Amino acid sequence: MLLKIENLQAQVEDKQILKGINLQVNPGEVHAIMGPNGSGKSTLSSVLAGREDYEVTAGSVEYAGEDLLEIDAEERAQKGIFLAFQYPVEIPGVSNKLFMQTAVNAIREARGEAPLDMFDFDQLAMEKMKALQMSPVMLERSVNVGFSGGEKKRNDIFQMAMLEPKLCILDETDSGLDIDALRIVADGVNSLRSPERSFIVVTHYQRLLDYIKPDFVHVLYNGQIIKSGGFELAQELEEKGYDHLIQAHEEV
Amino acid sequence: MTTLSKPMKKSSPVAQKAIDFYLSQVQAINARHPNPALASFRQSVAERFAQQGFPSRRDEDWKYTPVTEFLKTHYTVEGVAQIDPQQIKQYLPPFDVMHLVFIDGYFSERYSDDLSELPRGLSIEPVKDALDFSQGHCSLMTHEDKIQAEPFGCLNSMLFDDGLLIQLDAHCHIERPIFCSYIQTQNQHANTLRNRVVLAQGAQLTLIQQHVSLRPDVNAFDNLVAEIVLAEHANLQQIILQDVSLLSGYFSLQTIDQAEKSVFNSVYVGIGGALSRHQNVLMMQGAHVESNQSSACLATGKQVMDTRTHTEHQAWWGVSRQLHKLVLDDQAVGVFNGMIKVHQGAQKTDGQMDNKNLLLSNTAQVDSKPQLEIYADDVKCSHGSASGQISEEQIFYLRARGINQADARRLVTQAFLLEPLEVIGSPKTQAWLSNKLTHKLNTKT
Repeated sequence: MLLKIENLQAQVEDKQILKGINLQVNPGEVHAIMGPNGSGKSTLSSVLAGREDYEVTAGSVEYAGEDLLEIDAEERAQKGIFLAFQYPVEIPGVSNKLFMQTAVNAIREARGEAPLDMFDFDQLAMEKMKALQMSPVMLERSVNVGFSGGEKKRNDIFQMAMLEPKLCILDETDSGLDIDALRIVADGVNSLRSPERSFIVVTHYQRLLDYIKPDFVHVLYNGQIIKSGGFELAQELEEKGYDHLIQAHEEV
Repeated sequence: MTTLSKPMKKSSPVAQKAIDFYLSQVQAINARHPNPALASFRQSVAERFAQQGFPSRRDEDWKYTPVTEFLKTHYTVEGVAQIDPQQIKQYLPPFDVMHLVFIDGYFSERYSDDLSELPRGLSIEPVKDALDFSQGHCSLMTHEDKIQAEPFGCLNSMLFDDGLLIQLDAHCHIERPIFCSYIQTQNQHANTLRNRVVLAQGAQLTLIQQHVSLRPDVNAFDNLVAEIVLAEHANLQQIILQDVSLLSGYFSLQTIDQAEKSVFNSVYVGIGGALSRHQNVLMMQGAHVESNQSSACLATGKQVMDTRTHTEHQAWWGVSRQLHKLVLDDQAVGVFNGMIKVHQGAQKTDGQMDNKNLLLSNTAQVDSKPQLEIYADDVKCSHGSASGQISEEQIFYLRARGINQADARRLVTQAFLLEPLEVIGSPKTQAWLSNKLTHKLNTKT
C-alpha cells in the first residue's frame, strides 16, 4: 500500500475541518475526491503536502511505510509526493529553468543520484515540454509570472513530469481552465499514469474526470468521506448533484 | 588661522568636534600640494562649511540616515598609502577593461594602465589641472553651488585634492570599459575625490567604478563627487559597486546633465559600508533624452544604506526609468528617496520610478519616500514603493518541489535582489555584479 489515511482530523485556527478521513491508495490507482465547496477537499491536499497552516489533531497518515505527518514538506516532495496547486504561485526573477533544475537535483540528491548537468537537464526538460505542448520559451520565463491560468496549470503538470513522483495530488487543477486547456492537462496526467504511480484528483466537477477516468470516487462532505464508489459515482453526481447524497448522509 | 563666520545652526558636541576637525584638515591638505588659488578656494568653502556643518535628524533629507556614529571617527587627509603592487590584480574584474586605480583618494599612475596609449578621442587628465580656481567658488564646476549645498558635497569641495577629468571626443565609441578602482588602504583616512566626465556629441562609453577596502578592518571615508556631462546623442553606461569594509563610510554625489537624445544608464550596487549614501542629481535638459537609474543594495548587521535620486525632466519626450531595491536583514536600515520633477515645458514626459524593499528580519527598518512634482499637463508618470517580507506562499511552493527551506529563501531573495541588474547590457558585467551580491547573500549569518 502506498498511502493509508486513518481517522485524519485537522483544524485551522481552531476550526475543525477534517473530521475523520479514512482512505487507502495502492500503487497505480487513481482516486477522485469530490465534494461541495467547503467540504475540506483543499485542506486534505494541503495536509498531505505538508502545509504548516493546518494542525493535525488526530489520526495518522502512513506513506510508503513511513509516518508522513512527521516529515517536512520538502522531504515529502523528495520522497515522491507531488502537489499540483489550485493556484500555482508566481515567483518573479526565478526562471522556470533554475527552479526546476534546483528541484530536480534536490530530489536526485535525496535519492542518492548524481545531479543532472545543464545539457542533460535541458534535454529532459525539452522532451517533457514538447509532450505538454509548451513552448521552450517558458523555461526562460520567471515561474508563472504573466502566465495565463491554463499555462500555470500546465507548468505544474510539467513539474510533475520532471520530478517523477509516486503520489500526485491534484488540488482542483481544473478550476479556471477552458476546455482545451483541460484536455491538455488531462492528457498530461494520463501520460504519466503507470502501475507504480498513484493519483489523488481533488475536484468539484466531473468534467476533468471524463478525461482522467478514476478507479475510485469519494465524496467528501463536512470533513468526512460520506460515500465511495467507482467512476459511475461521478456520473451519478453529475446528474443528481451532491444534495441527495448529503440528505441521505444526514438522515443516518 | 582665519576667522570663520559664526555657525548659523547649533551643532551637537559630536558634530561640532567633527566640523572643527575637518576645518583643521584644510591646512593639512594645502600643505600636501601647495597651490595658492586652490587654497583660497578651499578657504571660501571652509566658511560655508563652518556655517552649514553636518546634518542632524532634524534635517528632512537626513531624518532616517543618522550620521552621529560616523562623525565620531575623525578621518584625516594625512598619511601614506600602503599597498603591494601584487594586491592590485585582485581588484580586476574577469573581463577586459582599462584599469584606473585610486588609492586613498589619489589617482595612482603607477598602478593604473598606461595612460599614454589611450584610444583615439579619449583623454584623461588630473581634474585639478583642468579647473580654474581663480574664478571663485561657484564657477568651479557647473553645479558647484548645488554640490556645496549638500553637507558632504561641501566637505568634498573643501578637501578634494585629486580626481580625473575624462573626456571623449565626438562620435568616439570606446568598447573597452573604463574601470576605476577606489581602494582604501589606510585606517581613519578621508578619501575625497572630484571627477568630471564629459562625453561629446555621439560619444559612447562604459564607466565602471568600484569602491573597496584593502582589508576588512580598514575604516576609511570615501567622499566622491562627480559631474557628468552628456552632449547630444552621447551614451554613458555607468556601473558603481560599493563594496568597502563594513566599518567604512561612503558618500557619493553625482550630477548628470543630459543634452538632446543622449542616454544615461546607471546601476548602483551597495554591499559594504557602515554608512553609505549614493545620490544622483539628473538633469534631462534636452528633448528625447533617455535615462535609467537602478540600484540593488543588501544591508546586514547594523549597516545603514541610503539611495537617492533627483530626476528633472526639463524638455519634451524624456523617458526615465528607475528600479531601486533594498534587501535588509538583522538591524539594518535602508533609506530610499526619489524625486521626479517635471518642468512646465517637459510635455510627453514618461517617467517611472519603483522602489521595492525586502525585509528579512523583524528588526530591519526601511524608510522610503518616492515623490512626483509635475508642472506639465501632458505627461505619463508613476512612482511606487512597496516593502514586505518573503512570501510564505512562494517558499511553500518551492518546498513542495523538494527544495529545502534555506535554499528556497535564498532563491527568492536572490531573484528579488538581482532584478535591477537586468538592465545591464553586458552579460559579463552583470554576472560579475551578481556574484558580488550573491556572495554576500550566501555568506551572511
